[in-house]
Amino acid sequence: MSGTVLHKGTPNAVSTDGRDIDQNVGKLSGEAAEQRASGAAEKHIKSYAQNWKSLPDEDTSDTTYYDRPMLNDPVWEWAIPTYYYVGGLTGASLALAAASQIGDASSREGLIRRGHTIGLIGACVSGGLLIYDLGVPSRFYNMLRVFRPTSPMNMGAWILSGTGGTAFGALLFRGRGGIIGLLGEFCGYLAGIFGAGLATYTGVLVSGSAVPIWQASRKILPLLFGASAMSSAGAFFEIFSRNPEERRITNIFGAVGQGTEIIAAIVMEKQASVVPRVGRPFKRGLSGFLWRTAAVLTIGTMASALIPNRTRKRRIIVAALGTLGSALMRMSIEKIGTASARDARASFHQQRAGYGAAEMTKARSA
Amino acid sequence: MPDTKGFFTDTTLCIGCKACEVACKQWNQLPDDGFLFTGMSYDNTIHLGASTWRHVAFIERPAPLTPQHDGAFSWLFSSDVCKHCARAGCLESCPTGAIIRNEYGAVYVQPDVCNGCGYCIVNCPFGVIDRREEDGRAWKCTLCYDRLRSDLIPACAKSCPTESIHFGNLEDLTKMAKDRVQELHEKGMTEAYLYGATEEDQPGTEGLHAFFLLVDKPEAYNLPPDPVVPTKKVGDAWRTMGATAAGMLLAGLASVFFGGRTRTS
Repeated sequence: MSGTVLHKGTPNAVSTDGRDIDQNVGKLSGEAAEQRASGAAEKHIKSYAQNWKSLPDEDTSDTTYYDRPMLNDPVWEWAIPTYYYVGGLTGASLALAAASQIGDASSREGLIRRGHTIGLIGACVSGGLLIYDLGVPSRFYNMLRVFRPTSPMNMGAWILSGTGGTAFGALLFRGRGGIIGLLGEFCGYLAGIFGAGLATYTGVLVSGSAVPIWQASRKILPLLFGASAMSSAGAFFEIFSRNPEERRITNIFGAVGQGTEIIAAIVMEKQASVVPRVGRPFKRGLSGFLWRTAAVLTIGTMASALIPNRTRKRRIIVAALGTLGSALMRMSIEKIGTASARDARASFHQQRAGYGAAEMTKARSA
Repeated sequence: MPDTKGFFTDTTLCIGCKACEVACKQWNQLPDDGFLFTGMSYDNTIHLGASTWRHVAFIERPAPLTPQHDGAFSWLFSSDVCKHCARAGCLESCPTGAIIRNEYGAVYVQPDVCNGCGYCIVNCPFGVIDRREEDGRAWKCTLCYDRLRSDLIPACAKSCPTESIHFGNLEDLTKMAKDRVQELHEKGMTEAYLYGATEEDQPGTEGLHAFFLLVDKPEAYNLPPDPVVPTKKVGDAWRTMGATAAGMLLAGLASVFFGGRTRTS
């Protein structure tokens, strides 16, 4: 076994893997026998030592358990927020492509084709990012082992599969004659519907959790992610397309997204901050810094769209900054969740203020 | 089909010996989590996790327990464990179906199916289940599934020297726990109460299969006061998602209508 260390305390050094079982004598057959044990303990210690570097909480009037977190940290790292961005761009592009298919689409063929191409590539990249983040990547196919509506992640796996499949179908069959062409047309529309789902379900994925700030954001987060996806798609076409009609369409689409994104962000922060302790990561630390920076970038790019007679170069710079804003927003949502999970008071205050299970029982009796 | 089994942990009987922690590690052959000194009373285990399925909390309070006459100090111990919720967040959110409810009504992670997506971790309102970095999969208390299949009781309950950890049929445990609370109240310890014994006690999880008798606020034991299984609330998010997806398609149509050539020509 890799990472096996020698047990130094015994006269005849025996190999041990953190269980203090001499594997020459003892048999590993317990429930946790499958756990590989090497070096994890050191990592665990390091993560706690990291926590101790921060100062103790200034607010000690209420009860906690030595200010320790109540929840375990989310384990997602950079790949998942990146996926939120890529999946959003993919989904919104497909939704726009499907809308462009309606009516006399001959002048918009370029836009439609580009949308479907982004759709297919984006779905593949998304899949790659998701698989990379798994603890056991070789078992990714287990995601499609069941169909489970109670699990947003399972629904997402199906939506992503549908998106990739239909985008591929649209790319392959559209523009051909006869029944095959019709099938391609149908695939395009279906890809639009799947895409709109892909760009928004990630909001459900995040807010369907016990992390207090994510849970408190659940009524707005899918809107925020969806709107941000639209603005990402707008910025992407702004950079890569030279067709004026195409750019007119995508600019409107992106601007609607950007406007909605800003409103949704403001409403969400307000809603999550109803219990002040819950909303704290929006205002403090790295998470708050990222959240604010993303907001400034989004508002800035939106405002600069009002300046007339811009050169192509300048438009590209603005679009790139907007994209950066969208990506940072996704990253900040991840950081905000980690900060919130580490703050036991956020959960305690939220539930004491009646936003735990009480919220649901109240809603049912009303 | 056997009866639903569970734990009733009576924290007033716990002496903080950690025999349950050791027995759990030993039987399940769990690796160590590193040896560190926290300075948090006698608690060097800190929290439940992938390789810690029992955790004894040590609460030092500057207040006496009710029947205690002298001193302004009391020490509470409580052996924490997976609650095996009647409605389990980890189970409902698991995208692979790796987490199941077994014939004893316990929530069990099948290690040969779990692909380590990490979604159960953010869906547990108690912070019980965790992913083991070395291994990539999610792990937690199995209610000693293997021992139950061999007509043995879980290792922690077996090793508990004071019977603070009771194992048995859930119905019997609930009755026993209610009697115990009444007994304590009669003795003057009026702060004793049950945490999560029934659906009425804890509507958010619809009752715990591993419930507790506590004498202080849940927060003191690092337990949530009103936990809720996230899947109970996720409907709100799905509604917004549906409306947003529809709105996005409509916005696409509007963009084509206002920006397309068909209108300008």
